Amino acid sequence: MGLLSKKDAKLITDPLADNNPITIQVLGICSALAITADLKASLVMGVAVLFVMGVGNVVISLMRNIIPSKIRIIVQLIVVASLVIIVDQVLKAYAFELSKTLSVFIGLIITNCIIMGRFEAFALANGPYRSFLDGIGNALGYAVILVIVGIFRELLGAGTLMGYPVLGDPIEKTGVFSIGYENNGFMLMPPMALIIVGLIIWVQRSRNKDLIED
Amino acid sequence: MIEHLELFFKAVFIDNMVFAVFLGMCSYLAVSKKVATAVGLGAAVIFVLAITVPLNWLLDQYLLQPGALSWLGSEYADYDLGFLSFIMFIATIATMVQLVEIVVEKFSPSLYNSLGIFLPLIAVNCAILGGSLFMQSREIETLGLAVNYGISSGIGWFLAILAIAAIREKIRYSNVPAPLRGLGITFIITGLMGIGFLSFGGMLTGGDEEEKPASEPTVKVEQIKSEDNAKKLADNTKNVE
Amino acid sequence: MAVNTDKNSYTILFAIAMVVIVGSLLAFTASSLKPQIKENERMEKQQNILYALGVNENEGTGDIVFVSTKEVADKFSTNVSEQLVLESKDGKIISKMTRQEFIDSKDEGKGKEPYLIDVKKQQARAKKGESRFLPLFVGQQDGKTVYIAPIRGKGLWDAIWGFVALDENMVVKGTFFDHAAETPGLGSNIKQRYFMDDFYGERLLTEAGVFKGIAVAKGNNDPKNERKEDHAVDALAGATITGDGISAMIRKDLKLYMPFFQNLNIKTN
Repeated sequence: MGLLSKKDAKLITDPLADNNPITIQVLGICSALAITADLKASLVMGVAVLFVMGVGNVVISLMRNIIPSKIRIIVQLIVVASLVIIVDQVLKAYAFELSKTLSVFIGLIITNCIIMGRFEAFALANGPYRSFLDGIGNALGYAVILVIVGIFRELLGAGTLMGYPVLGDPIEKTGVFSIGYENNGFMLMPPMALIIVGLIIWVQRSRNKDLIED
Repeated sequence: MIEHLELFFKAVFIDNMVFAVFLGMCSYLAVSKKVATAVGLGAAVIFVLAITVPLNWLLDQYLLQPGALSWLGSEYADYDLGFLSFIMFIATIATMVQLVEIVVEKFSPSLYNSLGIFLPLIAVNCAILGGSLFMQSREIETLGLAVNYGISSGIGWFLAILAIAAIREKIRYSNVPAPLRGLGITFIITGLMGIGFLSFGGMLTGGDEEEKPASEPTVKVEQIKSEDNAKKLADNTKNVE
Repeated sequence: MAVNTDKNSYTILFAIAMVVIVGSLLAFTASSLKPQIKENERMEKQQNILYALGVNENEGTGDIVFVSTKEVADKFSTNVSEQLVLESKDGKIISKMTRQEFIDSKDEGKGKEPYLIDVKKQQARAKKGESRFLPLFVGQQDGKTVYIAPIRGKGLWDAIWGFVALDENMVVKGTFFDHAAETPGLGSNIKQRYFMDDFYGERLLTEAGVFKGIAVAKGNNDPKNERKEDHAVDALAGATITGDGISAMIRKDLKLYMPFFQNLNIKTN
């Protein structure tokens, strides 16, 4: 990492594992449950959050000295919401197909507490460059968990990945379905996402004993 | 009266914010270590929902819906400000949350300290925005029902966080594998509770406003079968012409 | 900077400045992009109607592919031979207009292409006890006339809508469903081809000629959807509320067209 000083690099690598927004900071759970039933949606959401966190953190960081603390929540929310709405309108005008795919995520992005959480905890106290790195790092850490959960749920629940059948056809009984395997439709239900995240936490904390709560 | 009761039971049990639609998870997971703090946050959520849902209902009825501006005069009747609903709802919510924060800080510093970062986060507690959006998409008809919906979905959330906080207090004395302690086991228990709540899904659907038209035609079929087929059919055609 | 950000006057000034800046920014983007967005939405509607009619660029069994935006205007005018507008009140049809009559009329809510009729507004009118316009697009499929009607309802999060192509006996000859914000991977699958294709051949009327609709049913035990008389298609896993929304909008909105189809049959018999 020649470009980044050691301290700055930590801003990106920390949230990937030891300070992961979902499994450690407990932020952004709702969306992680709602959209991880397939891998493609998880990826799209990850990219969208990456963009909003990067830009939003910089904007808030630039404004940090002039935001009155009494109304900071409203200001933060309005910054995110207008950012998302403007991007949505521009996409609707010039990239209509893409906007149709993304429109589903608008509400989930605005209310994603990972964004507000990082505004509050980091961008309000740090400069724009470091805030940008923090935003990117946390968004990546968030995306990693989303993708892992998405892979499990789509593969075991629908037998596909990114919409492509990998395990065979459940109706024609080809692939693993020919030896009696069945899709577990339950994996598509949101409660299973909770249980998978719980298992991820188990694995993560078994490998790094420092994270264990008493 | 009956519709109020029905809405209440639906919002608390069947469409429970936490277990059925999985909204408001972040604060639910993070502030459920102790029953006392959980009660505090739960009460705050009920309060905020009880205020924001009716407020947003008024906004929706008189500002945002297509044709809602007609009270300004007929020339405004064609405006559709629907694209503003997100930002209007969220602004209302953020204002109310900020208000609650100021009030709590003033009157109960201990509660303020224990809620910590999560009081501002009520603003992005998706249960709150979800309440307003569900209110909009389910076309709740009167202000009274909107108040009811806000309070009862808040109560649903309150019950959920109270339940998990009680379980977490008890589970401290159990022999949970070390890496699962705390957050991990909470995730898994919530998942199991969610599976339990799935069983509420089939309740009350018979009386659902949407289901009524379905039962009508079925009755008609039986009538036709039992009586003179041709005559009934002819009557039917006459009626609809 | 030595600004005292805690002062009330500063807070109020900041709030006002914020509202003005954000408000004008949003209003500016919304109004400057409006023509482009309207045009995109117009083309999308045409593509959707054509899709329900069976005019599309689908290959194999993959995703849905619309006709391209360049061709859509041409294809729409050649394939959709007529656009009818029915005026409906209390479940009865009180008048019937051709496309030209509807465009030429100066009355409120008329005077535009029938396919641009906003179903949401019409549903709101019907709720107030006023009459509502029901657009109906006429096209040809395999040498037979089919009628395409728009439907609209609510899913789990937000609106869902679609177009259904029917033959003169109200048998489904094609569907298109779309949604604003259903859960990705669950409810959003109503926009998948395998779900839409299931509806082909399903009947809206019972043998006795009574309107029954099509239920999106769990435990249908018919995953390949071979039974076409059961008034049910297989539900999507994990999308109960969205599926119920589909059944409800088919039942509510298409029932309004029933008198039209009955008259049609009386004439042809």
